Amino acid sequence: MTSLVGRPWLSASRWLLVVYCLYLLLPLYWLSSIALQTNADITGDFSVLPQNPTLSNFAEIWRNPVWSSAFVNSLSYVVLNTLISIVVAVPAAYVFSRYRFLGDRQLFFWLLTNRMAPPAVFLLPFFQLYSAVGLFDTPLAVALAHCLFTVPLSVWILEGFMSAVPTELDDMARIDGHSFGFFFLRIFVPINRGAIGVTLFFCFMFSWVELLLARTLTGSEAKPIVVTMTRTVSASGLDWGVLAAAGVLTVIPGIIVVWFVRKHLVKGFALGRVS
Amino acid sequence: MLQLSQIQLAPGAEAFDHTFAAGTLTVVLGRNRSGKTNLCRLVAGLACSATGQVTLNDRSLSVQLPQSRSVAVVFQAFVNYPNWTVAENIASPMRAQGVAWRDREARAKQLAEVLGLEAFLQRLPNELSGGQQQRLAIARAMAQQAQVLVLDEPLVNLDYKLRESLVLELQGALQQAGTAVIYTSTDPKDAFALGDELVLLDGHTKLQSGKPLEVYRYPQNYMAADLMSDPGVNAFTTQATLVAAARKAAVRPEHVYLADSARFDDVSEFKMEVQGLETSGDETFIHGSVDGNSWVVRRPGMVNVKPGQRLAVIVRKGDIMRFGVA
Repeated sequence: MTSLVGRPWLSASRWLLVVYCLYLLLPLYWLSSIALQTNADITGDFSVLPQNPTLSNFAEIWRNPVWSSAFVNSLSYVVLNTLISIVVAVPAAYVFSRYRFLGDRQLFFWLLTNRMAPPAVFLLPFFQLYSAVGLFDTPLAVALAHCLFTVPLSVWILEGFMSAVPTELDDMARIDGHSFGFFFLRIFVPINRGAIGVTLFFCFMFSWVELLLARTLTGSEAKPIVVTMTRTVSASGLDWGVLAAAGVLTVIPGIIVVWFVRKHLVKGFALGRVS
Repeated sequence: MLQLSQIQLAPGAEAFDHTFAAGTLTVVLGRNRSGKTNLCRLVAGLACSATGQVTLNDRSLSVQLPQSRSVAVVFQAFVNYPNWTVAENIASPMRAQGVAWRDREARAKQLAEVLGLEAFLQRLPNELSGGQQQRLAIARAMAQQAQVLVLDEPLVNLDYKLRESLVLELQGALQQAGTAVIYTSTDPKDAFALGDELVLLDGHTKLQSGKPLEVYRYPQNYMAADLMSDPGVNAFTTQATLVAAARKAAVRPEHVYLADSARFDDVSEFKMEVQGLETSGDETFIHGSVDGNSWVVRRPGMVNVKPGQRLAVIVRKGDIMRFGVA
């Protein structure tokens, strides 16, 4: 009989897991390490730990309006995009999950095909259109362009979750005497908050890391952080330390979002699996 | 008084007419897909009929939304608002009616006591057992104080012990003054335990209606007799048992006796090929065939019979039900 007590604390599979985690964390560690060094240290001798750790790179980002405004720009279009996507996709997904109408399946599939086209396809039309209506170089321009990708994705995710909610619940609310608005906002949306959390996460992540549209549709005013990071070559050469510090700061919002929706993410993914 | 006239329970089905009186509990009995749920949805306003009229106290309901009908429904599946506590769930219809918060709370508590949920008022529905969840759904429907209360096979998803205890509880709880209660079921026992009135449904049409015992004693046709019998009735095809006018005759499983242990006058005897036995200790069901028809004999206690045996069974002539049309 095998005893569980005598089992070695670190079996081969655990070691494998530890190695895999280290492998995943290595680039993040290296980025943080570079962010805490001066350019001279970075280009100097190789060392695993920063020799003279300094926060001067972060201070530079805080002081320099090019960096700080880039962060504000990025956050504003990401938040705008996430809000628009959720506000549009929640009712749309409800309709797809509850009603059968002429061409519903085709329409639903068409939403998905939008995701199949590479963003580059839409560069020229967006650029031309936004220039014509005066939207070019504003956070709203990028937010709307990203909606082309995040709204279908959101509808797709939410529809799966909402279809799993029994339609008897809708019937029951009507019989109880509740108006549709009350049912939808006070009962149906709260039930699906896990799904909405998952959707929020995907919208945020898409918009936060997308580079191509964000770069093409902005000039100097609304330039986002991902674009600023690709243009850090100054007269004195490449500013490695500041670039790494900006990279660290770019990762943080993602971590915060994941932290807030982590419970819903786990639950949401689990729900998605069984439905 | 809820009146259904010339209603179609399914496209192309025969028209359905019935009056559900206030203050009575009507059990609607039928097999699966016989139109019970359609009937409930029609009364509640969740579905509509191409023809006919639904009137409640002489007021037409046909054009009214579910919200404005005075109809409460308990569904077959345990449907409760998962994000609301038991107390909030029970108070939900009163909230829609604009009842003051304090009154809502008091009434919710009172109903929770009636249905044995007073200890769980602050819990969420998914923290309750199946039986408690269905009692919650019943409490919420009762909180509406509607003129019509529809229960669509409310106990079908529960285990049988719980079902029996809930039927007894429902007997007391559903006696709300002036409410017309419609209770659908597939089990004839529910009709006897709960029903003041009984409606038999088959193939989306009404077979028969009346007091449960009357319908049991005098079924108008073979299908009605079969529905009111659990297990179903045993059919005859031999000419000897059929009087001239009858097209079909049948006898209930409990009215078939073993020839060697019963003494009656005026009996018919049959030979039964025993195929299998089902016993629960206090009762035995003997399955077999008589003249090519499947028969079930229901006898109290244990019976010493083996599968494959040829068994002599007797039927009192007075117990044979004869029907003019099939």
